[in-house]
Amino acid sequence: MKRGFNCFPLVVVSLSMLLEQPAASQEFKPSKIIETVVHTGPGGGSDLFARAIAEMLQKEKLITQRMQVVNKSGGGPAVAMAYLAEKKAETHTVGFYTGVWVTNPLTTVEATVTLKDLMPVTRLVLEPAVIAVKADSPYKTMKDFIDAAKKNPKQLNQSGGTITSRDNLMRLLLQKATGAQWNFISFPSGGERLSNLLGGHVQMMVIEPQEAGEQIRAGNLRVIASLTEKRLASLPNVPTIKEQGIDVPLIPQARGLVAPPATPKEVIAYWEGVFDAFVKTPTWKQYLDQNQFEDAYLKGPALGKFVDALKDQMREVLKEAGAKVVR
Amino acid sequence: MDALGNLLTGFSVALAPVNLFWCFVGVVLGTVVGVLPGLGPAATIAMLLPLTLKMDHTTAIIALAGIFYGARYGGSTTSILLNMPGESSSVATCLDGYQMARNGRAGAALGISAIASFIAGTVGVLGLMLIAPPLARFALRFAPPEYFALMVLGLAMVVFLAGDSMVKALLALLVGLWLATIGTDLFTAESRFTFGQAKLLGGIDFIAATVGMFAIGEVLVNLESRTGGDIIKLPRGLKNLLPTWQDLKDCRFAFVNGSLIGFFVGALPGAGATVASFLSYGLEKAVSRHPEKFGTGVIEGVAAPEGANNADAGGALVPLLTLGIPGGNTTAILLGGLILWGYKPGPLLIQEHPELFWGLVASMYVGNVMLLVLNLPLVPLFAQILRLPSYVLHPFIIGISVVGVFSVNSSLFDVWMMALFGLLGYLMRKLDFPASALILGLVLGDVLERALRQSLMMSQGDLSILINRPISATLLAIAAVLLVLPAIRWVRAWRAEAVERES
Repeated sequence: MKRGFNCFPLVVVSLSMLLEQPAASQEFKPSKIIETVVHTGPGGGSDLFARAIAEMLQKEKLITQRMQVVNKSGGGPAVAMAYLAEKKAETHTVGFYTGVWVTNPLTTVEATVTLKDLMPVTRLVLEPAVIAVKADSPYKTMKDFIDAAKKNPKQLNQSGGTITSRDNLMRLLLQKATGAQWNFISFPSGGERLSNLLGGHVQMMVIEPQEAGEQIRAGNLRVIASLTEKRLASLPNVPTIKEQGIDVPLIPQARGLVAPPATPKEVIAYWEGVFDAFVKTPTWKQYLDQNQFEDAYLKGPALGKFVDALKDQMREVLKEAGAKVVR
Repeated sequence: MDALGNLLTGFSVALAPVNLFWCFVGVVLGTVVGVLPGLGPAATIAMLLPLTLKMDHTTAIIALAGIFYGARYGGSTTSILLNMPGESSSVATCLDGYQMARNGRAGAALGISAIASFIAGTVGVLGLMLIAPPLARFALRFAPPEYFALMVLGLAMVVFLAGDSMVKALLALLVGLWLATIGTDLFTAESRFTFGQAKLLGGIDFIAATVGMFAIGEVLVNLESRTGGDIIKLPRGLKNLLPTWQDLKDCRFAFVNGSLIGFFVGALPGAGATVASFLSYGLEKAVSRHPEKFGTGVIEGVAAPEGANNADAGGALVPLLTLGIPGGNTTAILLGGLILWGYKPGPLLIQEHPELFWGLVASMYVGNVMLLVLNLPLVPLFAQILRLPSYVLHPFIIGISVVGVFSVNSSLFDVWMMALFGLLGYLMRKLDFPASALILGLVLGDVLERALRQSLMMSQGDLSILINRPISATLLAIAAVLLVLPAIRWVRAWRAEAVERES
């Protein structure tokens, strides 16, 4: 398609450039469907997040073109990131990143594209996490669990995602801070992690409050600590991990919008404008409440600093955890 | 009686004109995406989710669920006619379905798969209605050791896929298991056999592999016979295009087998319709009075797996609706939908929103009837594809394969992968290795390995965890019997031969 332009007579090209230039330097507006890349399959966390955002932006009439979600799953985020990198300077392609876009390139040789190679545009939310046990388990506080794990080292199990996921990194930090030891068992889907906890096959899980909410209400799960700085509004009686005397760094789980490398300034400005307006809408506030996300809007240089700091923190944690860090 | 009262309320919801209409739209769409390989129900539902926001929520879930179970009906069509499984859950259907088509019985195969789908689909809804909560509690008892045992049982089905040579079947299975390890290892996040290719980090796409091995491989084999004209004889007349009374009688057990296995395996998060369809195919062959005919086009060999992958749809809704736990991609999208519509999916959903649950259940009875009525008349129509001369049919098959495989991840890499597997499928056919055994290994290998490693992590490396638990011990015992049976048969045959020689 791009090569086709060469066939046009030069005159026409330069003429059209003359005509377009004033418009281009002023403002960018999408003129066709916006390809929106996510790294999970349909139904995955990132997929649902992207679809919800696309839907809300359209409902609020903040975008004039549809955002079409394209699933590029494989190798954690590696395939999606490589795809975005190929779309260099493409003005109608964006993606939604999460924290694993930072950690995955650190541990995977083949994952050559880093989040900083792309252009992060905004950070939208931080997802809080809590530590849950089965409601009929003997652990009422984090201390109960830690004591039990100390008494029977490597006998208790925690279900979670991959070893580079936040679940496992929090475990490693907690083990280091307390000296207790327990196993981490990876499951590919959230459904399996939760059903193994409910079935009593594992004793503990790091879970997002929204996912745990209904299980708590039905009396199936008990939350023994929140991995947040302040207590969660939805779980006011659950003390934070720091309140319980365990001082560990908290690993943020961020989600936000990212553009391909070398995206023109005016395109970035366009998306910043869209989200500046969007994060002020009641629709957004309602969505945050519903999913119990933390409002964490960030853009520009501040976002760059956040990504750098996160990368450094992750590298340290991964190294301490004994994971092979490749970059 | 409570259930009956609730069901009547449900029917009053499901039979409202607007719900009937959207149920119909859902099942028609489902059939269409099921017929086409590639674009599956999960992607379709995800795309349509925004449109449902303005609908009544019960109507919306009725329509989307229609796509989910409707797709299972459509899945068999290309498997039977073109040896092209649209989803991994219809690989087992190819085995006898395509052979039936080659024997001129495409219509009967398509017809029986619609009927089996209807029966099993209805049994699935019945199960969802009557035993969902206790079944969900039972499914929670399945931990990694039980999944491992279930996968071993699935792999044991290889003895039913073997043609003349068990050694060749086992070799193909091993290659399949190896192919399943390609990609990022879940436990260590290390990449295996990726040769530095980022595109292999996600492993090998099932659809690319199955479509390549079956459809493309078949085209390549057919190209050799330069007979021109049509390859497959199709009888004239509508009557010859539908299953006969005798066919239905032959499938009695297959209907029950497919329905029950599909429903129970479906209720286990992470097991899936593919396992269910292979298990019921294997069981059907194991109890058959003429097991040697399987793979040459026996009708029970179509009815059992097709039933299983339809009953699975009902089973998959059990953990979703009773616990808020999605077992697979499609149910995860439905869960996302429920949250988007403002529900709180979880253990209290049915109690707090009975109209949603019972409306959906009732609509699924209606939807299954619609699908039967819709699909049976389509059978003669679809079967006409086989009248195409080979110089039209072969490019057509390759065209659909390429588009279908590309549409899964919009990835050209997958298309090349399909071509590679096509070549492999051709070579295996030539050398008489069963392609289905390789696919069985590829599909089950991932869960098998994962479950074993999870079990051993839980037990600190103690293998006894696999046999100390009643459910996994039972499943492993059944698998052992399956594997030993052919050996016993072989010994018997050998003794009989020896006795004969002596006398």
